[in-house]
Amino acid sequence: MTVHAPGEQDSGQATVPPDNSDSLASFKEFAGPGGDRYGRTFLRIQQAKLAGHHLNISALIGGFLWAALRGNWPLFWIGFATDMVAAVNVALVHKYDLAAVQAATDGKDFLVQRYDGWSDAHLQAALILFFAGRLLLAWLADRLYYHHYTQWRVNRSLPSGQAIKRLGIGMLAVLLVAPLTIYRASQFAPDQRSCIKLAHMIQDGEQVPLKDRFDCWTISEFPTLVWLQRPLQYTFPRNDDGTRSIVVKEPSSQRPVNLNNWLSEHIDQGIDYVKAFYGWLFDGVTRWIRVLLNAVEAVFVGTPWIVTSLMLVMAAVRLAGSRMGLFTAAVLIYLALFGFWQTAMSTISLTVAATVICVVAGLPLGIWVAKSKVGAAVVTPALDIMQTIPSFVYLLPAVAFFSVGKPPGILATVIFAMPPMVRLTALGIQHVPASTKEAALAFGASPRQLLLKVELPLALPSIMAGVNQVVMLSLSMVVIAAIIGAGGMGFIVVDALARTQVGRGILAGIGIALIAMMIDRVVQKVNRT
Amino acid sequence: MDEERQVIEARGVWKIFGERAEEVLRAVRQNSLHKAEVLERFGAVVAVRNIDFAVERGEIFCIMGLSGSGKSTLVRHINRLIQPTHGQILVNGQDMGALSAEELRALRASRIGMVFQNMALLPHRTVRDNIAFALELRNTDPFTRHQLANGLLETVGLAGYGDAIPSELSGGMQQRVGLARALAADPDILLMDEPFSALDPLIRRGLQDEFLALSRTMDKTTVFITHDLDEAMRMGSRIGIMRDGEMVQIGTPEDIILHPKDSYVADFVQGLSRLKLVFAHRIMERPETYNKAHGNLTDVDTWPQAHPKADLNSLVSLIVGQQCPIAIRDDGKLAGIVTKDALLKGIQGQS
Repeated sequence: MTVHAPGEQDSGQATVPPDNSDSLASFKEFAGPGGDRYGRTFLRIQQAKLAGHHLNISALIGGFLWAALRGNWPLFWIGFATDMVAAVNVALVHKYDLAAVQAATDGKDFLVQRYDGWSDAHLQAALILFFAGRLLLAWLADRLYYHHYTQWRVNRSLPSGQAIKRLGIGMLAVLLVAPLTIYRASQFAPDQRSCIKLAHMIQDGEQVPLKDRFDCWTISEFPTLVWLQRPLQYTFPRNDDGTRSIVVKEPSSQRPVNLNNWLSEHIDQGIDYVKAFYGWLFDGVTRWIRVLLNAVEAVFVGTPWIVTSLMLVMAAVRLAGSRMGLFTAAVLIYLALFGFWQTAMSTISLTVAATVICVVAGLPLGIWVAKSKVGAAVVTPALDIMQTIPSFVYLLPAVAFFSVGKPPGILATVIFAMPPMVRLTALGIQHVPASTKEAALAFGASPRQLLLKVELPLALPSIMAGVNQVVMLSLSMVVIAAIIGAGGMGFIVVDALARTQVGRGILAGIGIALIAMMIDRVVQKVNRT
Repeated sequence: MDEERQVIEARGVWKIFGERAEEVLRAVRQNSLHKAEVLERFGAVVAVRNIDFAVERGEIFCIMGLSGSGKSTLVRHINRLIQPTHGQILVNGQDMGALSAEELRALRASRIGMVFQNMALLPHRTVRDNIAFALELRNTDPFTRHQLANGLLETVGLAGYGDAIPSELSGGMQQRVGLARALAADPDILLMDEPFSALDPLIRRGLQDEFLALSRTMDKTTVFITHDLDEAMRMGSRIGIMRDGEMVQIGTPEDIILHPKDSYVADFVQGLSRLKLVFAHRIMERPETYNKAHGNLTDVDTWPQAHPKADLNSLVSLIVGQQCPIAIRDDGKLAGIVTKDALLKGIQGQS
């Protein structure tokens, strides 16, 4: 593949000005075989004179193999991907042709027609993709290859010239990817269920066609191994005197299970054990959350709407000015007129309770993280995990240990919303200038005075930003917690979703959005002043 | 030096930053390794290297050195913001290393004031609360703090700014607040860590003069850190010059300018104007020598007269327009003669 047909734009100008000889030599050194041709092209690119329709003929013919030979792997993958998609389309043609024949023998004419249509469509797609892909590759080839050259100039260990070894690597990649992918496209893959059935048949010693086995192993769900014995069944019944005892039973079925079933049964039993013997702990936590929530609800839900709404509007005016007061009033009127008053107040109560817990727990944790290496080593990974897990998943442990209702809802919310409080408190304290702390120490501050008189005041903006985030995250999680029975506005949305009553859901959704905006604006305004 | 008058004394102070500081110290002392070698071999930094010095009551002791010479580290040993790796710091005869945490805090709050290069005021407090910070830490009542802060604001020329917050003040004003804060507890010792370095030259000059005037009336012992030799010469009763953590030379400004200990110090003082730092007794000839050379001492009473402690600047003023030399008299007795040639050479730095 060393022969490069020059594009017609080359013919006009055969001689190159002498001051380009350095560049040309470097181009040739890089390109190796075919250096003259690449040298001219690169020079045009450098001079911004490359024609818009310039194509690399070798790349057009050789496709991704040309890119492999040249060691340009981005081009290789582009070329390989387009060719691969075209090949998959050809395989699909084959698949639907077979399906059409099958349908014809089954006498389902409408299916024959449908499959034939799909088959034709995929054939066209295959042709278009193949040619368009090759054209794209040929168009990109010299342009990206020049980029490759500029990088090679900086780092000479990058591949240059052409090498058969790289062609081999490219072929190997193709062999690993292509055959099975194309095979998968040409077949109707068996589903997991039929594969499990197949596994059972093999276990029972029945004859199974080789192709079915192969399909189950290669193009179906990843073959999970089914070899583990079911664990013993533990239960923890309550005795007459209130204590618990452990009862062990043989598993109900002797069929082996896969890793997933095996472990999830173990986890269930572990949770049952903890709940049976440490239930007092979870009951205690639930009770305390309940006490807090009752106090907050007494303010928001237990007070007549006239008093609560006046209080809220006045608070907004005091904290964030008359415009925010007006907005708050508008939000409250919306909630009241659409019959969301009690539910909205319940949502706000949940949010406030969760926020209180987050701040009370998060502030000392943040200080610990900022002050102690151990604290940072313990808490930071936990926070990382907490922030990576999708909010939905938090509901699981809450339900597992605390059952359903408002307290587990608040608990899940607290876990979800606390990380920014801890992080921003720690960040605020860590960002107090060392010189300021040093000055305080130089005037005889004790560690406690340093914290209270210097670090916390200086970290206050950061801490307040943390509170703001906690409030917003709490609100969003409280709504999700409706799934586990936390009630409030979220419940209306969940209920509306379950019954496909879109209108009701939208009205409640707008209500939630308005509450969020109201709280956000007020808290932000407070932060700024 | 008189033991009684010594307020601060450093004895063989070493500070090595990095892990295994003790081990590094032993290696450094055994093999007398250089700073760069220690960094390469142990990854540790020798910030202060076997330093001895003493500061007397009422003097302004300047520590001069380029950035990285360890001067700021050294001054932080005096109030134990930094613990020495080895050696002792005595303040009023009390070993700082032997103090408990509470004693140390009490000492810092009442006996040692400190001024920082970047002011390091607390941005969320008013100027008044900043000044009274040390007193607040010792639980002084608000009324006393208020009164005292107002008085200090007047002292540093910021009367009426008590309710401002630091960010409303200019850099020079902020540093006045920093000074007032250091003075609030009426400490015996002032540690000034490049207090005027961040200010522009005119304001710096003004603050230097004010501080000199202030320290004359206040009788404080001051350790003054600077990287500016001019400043050191202006402020210091005595100057210690540091390089790479070592104290190269300690002496009065005149000492240092006339007898630089090595080429490093000599390079430093080379460009310095000697007009106000060198005095008549350093350049005068004895009357007998003059008599032998010129033999013309009869009309000595008509010549301009000066004291041996007169600086070169005042001698220049005396001799301008005169043909005769200057007679230097101590208590009316003729102590020496300064000729024009001697004066010019003295200004140039060749004696």
